[in-house]
Amino acid sequence: MSASPLLTARALCAGYGDFQALFSIDFDIQPGEVVALIGANGAGKSTLLKTFVGLVPIRDGSLTFCGLDVSKTPAHALVSRGLALVPEGRRLFRGMTAEDNLRVAADHAGQPAAGTRPWTLERLYDLFPILAERRAQAVEDLSGGQQQMVAIGRALMTQPKLLLCDEISLGLSPKVIAEIYDMLPVIRQAGTAIVLVEQDVSLASRSSDRVYCMLEGRITLSGRSSEVTRDEITQAYFGVKHDLG
Amino acid sequence: MTWVDAVIQGLLLGGLYAQYAIGLSLMFGVMRIVNIAHGDLVILLALIGISVSAAFGLGPGFIMLLMIPLGALIGWGLQRGILNHLVGNDPLPSLIATFGLSLALQNLMLTIWQADTRSLDAGALAIQSIDLGGIHVGVLPLGIVAVAALLTWGLHVVLKTTRFGRALRASAADKDAATLSGIDTKIVYAKATAIAVAILGIAAVFQAARTTVSPADGGAQLIYAFEAVIIGGMGSIWGAFAGGLILGVAQVVGSRIDPGWGILAGHLVFLLVLAWRPQGIMSRR
Repeated sequence: MSASPLLTARALCAGYGDFQALFSIDFDIQPGEVVALIGANGAGKSTLLKTFVGLVPIRDGSLTFCGLDVSKTPAHALVSRGLALVPEGRRLFRGMTAEDNLRVAADHAGQPAAGTRPWTLERLYDLFPILAERRAQAVEDLSGGQQQMVAIGRALMTQPKLLLCDEISLGLSPKVIAEIYDMLPVIRQAGTAIVLVEQDVSLASRSSDRVYCMLEGRITLSGRSSEVTRDEITQAYFGVKHDLG
Repeated sequence: MTWVDAVIQGLLLGGLYAQYAIGLSLMFGVMRIVNIAHGDLVILLALIGISVSAAFGLGPGFIMLLMIPLGALIGWGLQRGILNHLVGNDPLPSLIATFGLSLALQNLMLTIWQADTRSLDAGALAIQSIDLGGIHVGVLPLGIVAVAALLTWGLHVVLKTTRFGRALRASAADKDAATLSGIDTKIVYAKATAIAVAILGIAAVFQAARTTVSPADGGAQLIYAFEAVIIGGMGSIWGAFAGGLILGVAQVVGSRIDPGWGILAGHLVFLLVLAWRPQGIMSRR
């Protein structure tokens, strides 16, 4: 695990137009690691993930993936290098079948990491059997949970080395959330590192090796999920100045 | 019998409108771009075809083989050079850009070809007809409808079954999500416009062989294509084909009622569809 990091951000600054959303972010993830990213709404978690995949331009600092500088790499080219995002709100291709949604990603996939088994439709249907049944249905006719499975499956079909998940539990029932989170260890065993953006702090801590907390565009806490205390998280999550106690 | 004849002649006229409309519909469906220069591109390709034909003594078939790749090249260049910088949630920038291009093309064509009307000599094909139980059907118009149907079907199959078709549909549904799936949307858009204008290369030769063209004709062709797309449902390829045929039938039936009413009848049908089913007759919504 102490090999060279998969993705490294150093003093990363990014934003939209005149608005700067991220300030001097330092972030690392090792191959095969699961890292949770928590923080209040508007803290910049989604923006950080979008910056990693090239959808938000980097203003300053460095971003390396698999040892190469990717701060100027266009978003679509990062996908074939092994960086995939499951976007907030799923963003499936409406009007297309579940299987066509998956095929689009497979069409433009990169090479799977050396020594790992590539993701195929068959393997994905083993992971999410319900999708095999619903493969020919338009995605807008699937349930929320099934849509989220398609969104995760679509990202996996690009053969990612690093999978970024933006609020994959949003709007789903606890049962479906449990089903989806149960799949993360399977994905991880396949050699894929995972970044989880999650509103549910205890779920995030339980599912991850390490945790980063963000507040107002900055990283305010980082540490091993098993070691950070509730008080530390509360302070990093809300900030000292908001602490009424 | 006159009315059956009017409907058949209308369908035959509509074949040409359908050929204009499918490219316009493709561009709108994928990029939300309404290409105002669409009609002028037909006329430009037709005039180039006529001049090349006259200069080298080539027949319409050869000219079509030249105009298809030329159209594709123009479409590719138009998208890469201009439209890719303007694609976005706001339809206005691309509308203004293609409107400007339309004006520029019309004036460029007037400078090169003057305001004369020209046409392409299709030889015997232009006047051949077959007799279907008392109704004479022109071979050339019949070929135009058949080619329009073939183009629509071909495009439909490409969209449904190929890797490129999936990328195109994905880019149309959600540009950012397509990017996240590894698609270079700018290349996909350039290919879509290349296909749309390549189809105009075919339509241009048929237009020049069937009737006459002059540099200022583009506006009318755009209106017919646009009406066909709206009647069928924006973004639907089969809708554009059906819309073209409906418009053709409306125009011919209208002109049989009164020779001055042809184009007006087409516009009326367009307005009726807008009032009754504004999303178009073949739209899923």
